[in-house]
Amino acid sequence: MTIVAGIAPGKPDRDGVEYAALLARSAGTDLRVVCVVPGGAWPTPLPGGVDREYAAYASEAGDRDVAAVRALLAELAPDVAATVLAARGRSVPSVLIAEVAACTATLVVLGAGADGAWGRVVVGSAADRLLHSSPVPVAVATRGFRAAPGSRVGRVTVGFRGDSAAADVLGRAAELAGRLGAGLRVATFGVRGRTMYPPEVRGEEDVLAAYLEQTARAQRQALDELGPRGLLPADVESVTSTGADWAEAVGGLPWGPDDLLVVGSSPAGLVSRVFLGSSAAKILRHSPVPVVVVP
Amino acid sequence: MDRGPVAFRTQLLRRKPIAAAKGPHAGPELERSIGTFALMMFGVGATVGTGIFFVLQEAVPDAGPAVVVSFLVAGLAAGLSAICYAELASAIPVSGSTYSYAYHALGELVAMVIAACVLLEYGVSSAAVAVGWSGYFNELTGAVLGVELPQQLSYSPVPYEDNPTGWVNLPAVVLVLLCMLLLVRGASESARVNTIMVVVKLAVLGLFVVVGFTAFEADRFDGFWAAGAAGVSAAAATIFFSFIGLDAVSTAGEEVRDPQRALPRAIMGALAVVVTVYVLVAIAGVGSQPVEEFESPEQQSAGLSVILANITGSSIPGTVLAAGAVISIFSVTLVTLYGQTRILFAMGRDGMLPRRFAAVNPRTLTPTYNTVVVAIVVALVAGFVPSDYLWDTVSIGTLGAFIVVALGVLVLRRTRPDLERPFRVPGYPVTPVLTVLVCLYILSGLPAVTWLIFGVWLAVVLGFYLLWGRRHARLNEVDAA
Repeated sequence: MTIVAGIAPGKPDRDGVEYAALLARSAGTDLRVVCVVPGGAWPTPLPGGVDREYAAYASEAGDRDVAAVRALLAELAPDVAATVLAARGRSVPSVLIAEVAACTATLVVLGAGADGAWGRVVVGSAADRLLHSSPVPVAVATRGFRAAPGSRVGRVTVGFRGDSAAADVLGRAAELAGRLGAGLRVATFGVRGRTMYPPEVRGEEDVLAAYLEQTARAQRQALDELGPRGLLPADVESVTSTGADWAEAVGGLPWGPDDLLVVGSSPAGLVSRVFLGSSAAKILRHSPVPVVVVP
Repeated sequence: MDRGPVAFRTQLLRRKPIAAAKGPHAGPELERSIGTFALMMFGVGATVGTGIFFVLQEAVPDAGPAVVVSFLVAGLAAGLSAICYAELASAIPVSGSTYSYAYHALGELVAMVIAACVLLEYGVSSAAVAVGWSGYFNELTGAVLGVELPQQLSYSPVPYEDNPTGWVNLPAVVLVLLCMLLLVRGASESARVNTIMVVVKLAVLGLFVVVGFTAFEADRFDGFWAAGAAGVSAAAATIFFSFIGLDAVSTAGEEVRDPQRALPRAIMGALAVVVTVYVLVAIAGVGSQPVEEFESPEQQSAGLSVILANITGSSIPGTVLAAGAVISIFSVTLVTLYGQTRILFAMGRDGMLPRRFAAVNPRTLTPTYNTVVVAIVVALVAGFVPSDYLWDTVSIGTLGAFIVVALGVLVLRRTRPDLERPFRVPGYPVTPVLTVLVCLYILSGLPAVTWLIFGVWLAVVLGFYLLWGRRHARLNEVDAA
């Protein structure tokens, strides 16, 4: 059992490394940090050897990344058994997927993209592709993620929507919580629809209330199914949070520094794999803690 | 008695407790942020245009030039009812419609009567509006593309007097199904679009008035009272539906600053604006062409736009008006259909309908099953019933609901004098009594067949309640516990 963390060329970011180390420490597994080096095999040698020159430059850059990550890990998480290596490939996601398959990893971890607010989950281009094609859960750090030295994941919060796919996600989140030694919090986010204009009938409060009741029933049912099979961690709580929009609904829950949020991908079909649904995408965008997206 | 823990009589009269209505979702209280003027504009936007696009050709043949008086009478009834409505809405701070207020205030049986009325007010009116839209849609495609749907596909098969008939009113059916798609996807998306549509609506009515007055001839008002009081009340009954929407003001009661002052002012202000607009449209219409012309089959389908075309001899103003109508009537169908689904939703939650009506699709957070059922029924009605039957049915449903609301104010003042009422009807008890009287006067103008339809419908709803809803009501569980 391994956790794979991906480092994009020239971006040995602290967020991703720190998050990966936290997860590996909590799960008690080893960590495999893959620094992706651009350029795969060149089909034909070029005159003047510019291809070899580039390959040499790239592997040098890769070595620099590996050294930087090793230094980071030595500083941040000396207690985690980590292997840092460089791997060649044309794109970060394809290298990572190959690596996951090679070492039968259970989780891929990525840092936040650079294009977003501090403290938010920012899905960069590599993470985006992984979300669409990864066979294992994908963890994405918040931008600027920092963990206290030696800390572990305290609580896994799972977004629960109340359909059949949600029960699967809950099962996977429970499994993850068990592996990380963390508590489980089942959260349903309800967003009140805006009132139609003109508002001759005001029904949105009713719809929201019915949704929450309905989901609470589904939550109980799903938990009751998991409970007897010994799949639930000792500490399980159910919460609901509502608001006029997703920011209010997600932000309305109390979040701690040792929290982690699990969302399911869209139940649209097998083809779309970990394709994010619209609600998952919105929850993810407003999450103040790192996330794990399960396929 | 093996009917369960509740005696029959108790059940018919039992009320849903108001505290329970505030319910488990302790969301943030709505802020009191709306002032009188904003509220008034709210009412104007909600009311103007709902029916004015179709009403002249229906009402002028009944009342002749005195249709102007019919407008005033119908407006008076709507305004008084809205004020009574405001007291109930403010005393019972629950979401929902008249149905919910009645369940909390007046008991289960009255709530079911109201439900029957309100289903007509929303369900049938969305069908009727869709039929009206179909006429303007044909007018528009005819003027712009030179193509009109064949008669078979644009008229319903049921004959009404000498109106043309066909197989099915296809545009109306398509419109309702389009609205269904939007509502299934999520209603919020349409809120802003709707506001724009209201502006479009006011603009095209302005156009009509301006152009209409260029052809004004005072002698068209000769024989003003020829139709007599019966004609005036018959026309007022038909016109009444075009004032539906004024009660929107009262539902905003929770968000209004100083409701005791603001609500009646806003309702009266909105009413004044709406009546002015309508009367101007009526005067412009009646002044611009002889009364008999309103009955021509052409005008039956796209009245205002045909009038404009006749006045100017050019198709352009009529086309602009038809385009405005097509856009804005779309929004009206959407809103009424939306209202209908949410009322059934509330009934499903109360156990008066199968619980599936209160099921929310977790993907879209909308009641999908409910919306699809409503849309299919409304589409069938819109496709196969002519609008004349529909409008009278809408009016009787709305008037019925308003009478019950006015009676509810009287009853509650006696049975629950201690209830906190942020807004109290001014001029009590004259206002509610007057409301009932005016509504009854307007009702007297409705044709017998409408009463028959209404009676049958009421019997169906109450029958369903006695056979099914009574045993499944959610309050049964509460009472048993």
